[in-house]
Amino acid sequence: MNSEKDLAKAWNYRELLSELVKREIKSRYKQSILGYAWVLLVPLVNLVVLTVVFSLFIRIPTGNIPYPIFLFTALVPWTFTANAITFATQGLVSNTSLITKIYLPREIFPIATVFAKLVDYFLTSIILLIFLIIYGVSFEITMLYIPLIFFFHLLLVLGVSFILSAINVFFRDVENVLSVFLTIWMYITPVIYPPELIPQKFVPIFNLNPMMPIINAYRNTILYGVPPSWQSFSYAAVFSTLIFILGYKFFRNRSKYFADVI
Amino acid sequence: MEENNSVIQFKEVSKKYKKGSKLLKEALLDMFRPSSTKDFWALSNINFEVRKGESLGIIGPNGSGKSTILKLIAGVTVPTEGEVKVRGRIAPLIELGAGFHPELTGRENIYLNATILGVKRKEIDAKFKDIVNFADLGEFIDTPIKHYSSGMYMRLAFAVAVQTDPDILLVDEILAVGDTKFQERCFQKMKEFQDVGVTIVFVSHDMKAIQNFCTRVFYINSASIIKSGDPKEVVKKYALEVL
Repeated sequence: MNSEKDLAKAWNYRELLSELVKREIKSRYKQSILGYAWVLLVPLVNLVVLTVVFSLFIRIPTGNIPYPIFLFTALVPWTFTANAITFATQGLVSNTSLITKIYLPREIFPIATVFAKLVDYFLTSIILLIFLIIYGVSFEITMLYIPLIFFFHLLLVLGVSFILSAINVFFRDVENVLSVFLTIWMYITPVIYPPELIPQKFVPIFNLNPMMPIINAYRNTILYGVPPSWQSFSYAAVFSTLIFILGYKFFRNRSKYFADVI
Repeated sequence: MEENNSVIQFKEVSKKYKKGSKLLKEALLDMFRPSSTKDFWALSNINFEVRKGESLGIIGPNGSGKSTILKLIAGVTVPTEGEVKVRGRIAPLIELGAGFHPELTGRENIYLNATILGVKRKEIDAKFKDIVNFADLGEFIDTPIKHYSSGMYMRLAFAVAVQTDPDILLVDEILAVGDTKFQERCFQKMKEFQDVGVTIVFVSHDMKAIQNFCTRVFYINSASIIKSGDPKEVVKKYALEVL
């Protein structure tokens, strides 16, 4: 079976995908009083905490952009990255009964989880939009680049999710190490600080991180009215595409054995 | 060619499992060890064909490889050696309700589970009433299924699974659960499928049911087919050897 054919087959499964996304969204907050509001509350609480720490105690210079806005434009896409990868990684194991009983293209599980988190991303983006209006940020024409940035961001998240969820079937160690990995990843990405604060000699190392150009590009286009810096962004685009393709192939290859070991 | 009406085909199929779960440490060590002694052959060199409309029974002691055959037919696992060919839509009545989510309502679960079993949304809309009637749920259709009794749960799962217009029905001991009334209904439904030419693979420890229902039976023990053929004779052989 070649992968083009499989992708075509995956298209046939779009109804299943939408059912699985619905299941993920509906079931997540059942039996809770605030329900789906948690999707918005958690990032807002994070925003307040981080703002207090990094604009009152430790003052991070953000030029003429108020810190909460500076932070939130990066925190929203970052939260999507972290949540999607976290839930997708556990996603296969939590579908054990399906995987061992019924044949479905297994990639549908991480994809469904990432799509469910996409809904959260959309909702938190609306909050971000409201914040931008409240703070009187003018809307720049460069915001038209956002779909492009988002596209490669999504490829990266899907690719990493494919790889980690597949490994997690064989070694649950992944699940345990993941939160540490994501914390480190967040700190080496300019989410809570501007990229100018990175010491010059470390810049080449930081540049290897594909999330850095993506987060920078979101900020550049939303807050500063400048297009993504193409040199670093094209690196991220190539990296994300590669991770997506390799991740998918790796996942397909491993998925044959999921039912035997899960 | 006579192959034309064969819907399931096993050619020299063997299936190896690794015993026990592996830790990362062991996996790394294994890379330096030539061949692991922990291998376990669940099936070895299995050959058979099932033609359209047959009702095949599989009997054998626990751990003999019965469920592995069902899993290979369902496509959830791949053979270590050999080839498995299956044609047609499969409805696995294996562990009913595998795709159910306890927090979702009966209605939501019908859509979810039927979609998982490959039914289009429009078809589900059309069959929704039948499913609810068969499951006999009444007003509980909008209650989260975690509040269902196990009987209601089974009825709903069975009702969904049989509405999928399958070409091949895989049945694994489902009739062991539920009350007599439910079991009778299940059998009745399976007979209906039999009548319209659905191929059925039926794994059970219930020798009476196997003899009444199947047109051909395999007796499997320690990874091989010991005897296959007429239900009465195969069951007799199994009874002599094992029971």
